[in-house]
Amino acid sequence: MKAVGARLPRYDGVAHVTGRTQFVDDVRIAGTLWAKALRSPAHHADIKSLDVSKAEAMKGVLAVITWKDVPLLEYGHLSALGIPADEPLLAKDEVRYKGQPIALVAAEDEETAQAAVDAIELEVEEKPALFDVRKAFDSDAPKVHQWGNWYPHFEGEMDRRQIRKGSIDEAFDRADTIIQGVYRPAAIEHVPVETQVCQVVPEADGRLTIYSCTQALYFSMGVVAAHLQVPLNRLKFVGGTVGGGFGGKVDTATETMCSLLTLKSGRPVKWRWTREEEFLCSSTRAPWHMEIADAVTKDGWILGRKMLTLHDSGAYSRFSPYGLTKHSFHHTGAYTIPNLEFDGYVVYTNRVPTTAMRGFGVTSVSFAAETHMSRIAKELGLDPFEIRLKNANRIGDTSPNGVVYTDPSTVPTILAVADELGHELPADYRTMSSERREGEWLPEHLVGQLGNPEDH
Amino acid sequence: MAMHKGRGISAIEYPTGMNQNGDPSQAWIKMKPDGRVDVFSGTSDIGNGSKTIQSQIVADTLGVPYDWVTYDNTNTDSSPLCTGTFASRATFVAGMAVKKAAESARTKLLEIAGKELEIDPADLEVVDGEVVAKGAPQKKISVSDVAAAATWTYGELITGTGAHLNPYAPIVDPETGRVEIPPHAAISYAACAAEVEVDDETGDVRVTRLVQCFDVGTAINPTLVEGQIEGGAMQGLGLGVLESCYPYYPSVENRGGQFGAYLAPGMEDLPQVDTLIIENPSADGPYGAKGIGEMANNPQPPAIAAAVYDAIGVWITELPITPERVLRALDAKAEPRRDGKVVIFDEELSVNAVSNGGMRFEVPA
Repeated sequence: MKAVGARLPRYDGVAHVTGRTQFVDDVRIAGTLWAKALRSPAHHADIKSLDVSKAEAMKGVLAVITWKDVPLLEYGHLSALGIPADEPLLAKDEVRYKGQPIALVAAEDEETAQAAVDAIELEVEEKPALFDVRKAFDSDAPKVHQWGNWYPHFEGEMDRRQIRKGSIDEAFDRADTIIQGVYRPAAIEHVPVETQVCQVVPEADGRLTIYSCTQALYFSMGVVAAHLQVPLNRLKFVGGTVGGGFGGKVDTATETMCSLLTLKSGRPVKWRWTREEEFLCSSTRAPWHMEIADAVTKDGWILGRKMLTLHDSGAYSRFSPYGLTKHSFHHTGAYTIPNLEFDGYVVYTNRVPTTAMRGFGVTSVSFAAETHMSRIAKELGLDPFEIRLKNANRIGDTSPNGVVYTDPSTVPTILAVADELGHELPADYRTMSSERREGEWLPEHLVGQLGNPEDH
Repeated sequence: MAMHKGRGISAIEYPTGMNQNGDPSQAWIKMKPDGRVDVFSGTSDIGNGSKTIQSQIVADTLGVPYDWVTYDNTNTDSSPLCTGTFASRATFVAGMAVKKAAESARTKLLEIAGKELEIDPADLEVVDGEVVAKGAPQKKISVSDVAAAATWTYGELITGTGAHLNPYAPIVDPETGRVEIPPHAAISYAACAAEVEVDDETGDVRVTRLVQCFDVGTAINPTLVEGQIEGGAMQGLGLGVLESCYPYYPSVENRGGQFGAYLAPGMEDLPQVDTLIIENPSADGPYGAKGIGEMANNPQPPAIAAAVYDAIGVWITELPITPERVLRALDAKAEPRRDGKVVIFDEELSVNAVSNGGMRFEVPA
């Protein structure tokens, strides 16, 4: 009896559908305080003054925290990879997006916590905001970020992610047709049923138990430990069962601030975002701006691609440099294109920071590259299956950054869909496989793309 | 005023594991005195089914029934590090960690069984909860008895640890983006066809059918992988025709802060979904698996955009393809600009049309 390959029911399925799974919001700890946040009312503003004294003096309020209470104010999502930090846990001198947390209150109940937030005196002076990534590079654009309007810390301190392969000039010169298009998929919400939530408990031995909805227990523990400047044995993350994440719960949105309130109040603290906070203040999938120009032959070979990507990072970097790099590695999609010139920028704007979401970096380029492929087929009068099959990456082809494909399935997946639809294909397409290119499938422009057979 | 039908296709690829790798997962396993198995892994289950998948991998690798396996990912005191559940890595990378932990526990199990049977452990295997001599199946001892012997006779604990890490693949040349070792654990592939109906009076786009084929490497659990693919299809449908945080992007106005003002896909949007699975095993994943959790929402939007063109003859390349965008596109009936051999679509969306000269997209003449 084998388990692998069996249609076994979900390990936790019965508990989920009968309501017996314990999610973070189901945890009940006596004496728990409620947290609420003061968030930026402006898209972009200087903080002129912040006075929490009235909130602190309110009956039932046990703790109020601001940037002054954070041992390490800035710790980046990618600090562990050596990428510098740019985002304060709580805003200090400036706010860069509407909804950015500025101060938090812990109080005996939710209503008191909200009343105390409302009693915090905040004075801001609004500044011009930037929302259009296409305008970010102009000299008259509002200045958004301490590093400039786009991320400057790629390898070699480059301000963009580049891919270069072959000769783009030669490809465009040889092309029968050059087809250009612009692709702009939207920011969307992760829409987890479980909003961002955590519960922190101070233990008698000085440790903190952190009930968390994180998708990454150790990553989030590392983030909290860094901000608090404590070793990992001071923290115990409890979780592993998440009510929907889709990438948005790698952000560690609540755990650190809730821990600080716990340390300051000496009481258990719970912070559960409202649905409105989840929609308006949690990070989103990034909106992307992509421009593609492909050099193509009249029979549908793609000789070269020039591409510009502007990744709307929102106000801070978070995972965006990683996402853009992944995007660049996959900007030819499922096809082998020998001549490439890709430039991608992580652009800052005054919207909620964007973050990882299912398909991070590649969902965008799948939309752009595939819609472009459909356009090329239509423009050239070619069958959309055939143009994909002929350019499909095959065993032995090399990727944009020089890695040999060992087990591609572009050809069989396309053929399976054609078969299911009853779409008829000529015999030489119908019998195509993923094997190393030869004969009519190895045109001159792809000869140099074939890696050493020993590499695959 | 009429309904128009159209069909479009797409083909995509997607990597398993973090881009450029360097993302470890660790696990450990202990056996109770009756042979039942406790797995400790730090992998969060975000609905992707990793508790189930990792338990299946452990059961087969140890050679015990699936229902002997208890899986604990509840806390960081008990469970070792897992980089996390993202980057389509939980089945492949974390799955490899529990597989290696199970192999290590199996080595210990066979060592104790070898003492009991007085047979070289190299000549033993575990089959359906029993340790059996290879080629002499009458010589055997149950895993339960081995675990009891370890506990009460030998004073030992049958345990095993495992970790998996594909080494970090640095970019060796920032000018070209070149890497020298593979920057991912495996690549998965998919193709998709979308069929739509477009109402040219209301602009409404209905996705009526999705036909999707995914290469999953090995389907560790066919039901769960179909669930990932079909759930992902709905998320891709949302991306294609429904969802947007900023309806008039780049403007930040008109954001929806409640479910009533944000169109996530619901059951009424569910089209006919036909799922085809190809198993092209990965060379180095657990039992040949690849990760397909994320890519499941990638192929639908471009297939839908092509289907909309097929239906009404306009390209809509800003997502989502809302009724408003459909009606505006039908009004505009935009044609590309043709300049020699160059065909330029969407000129009004380009940086060239919006930037004040700070950024240009230039194509070699």
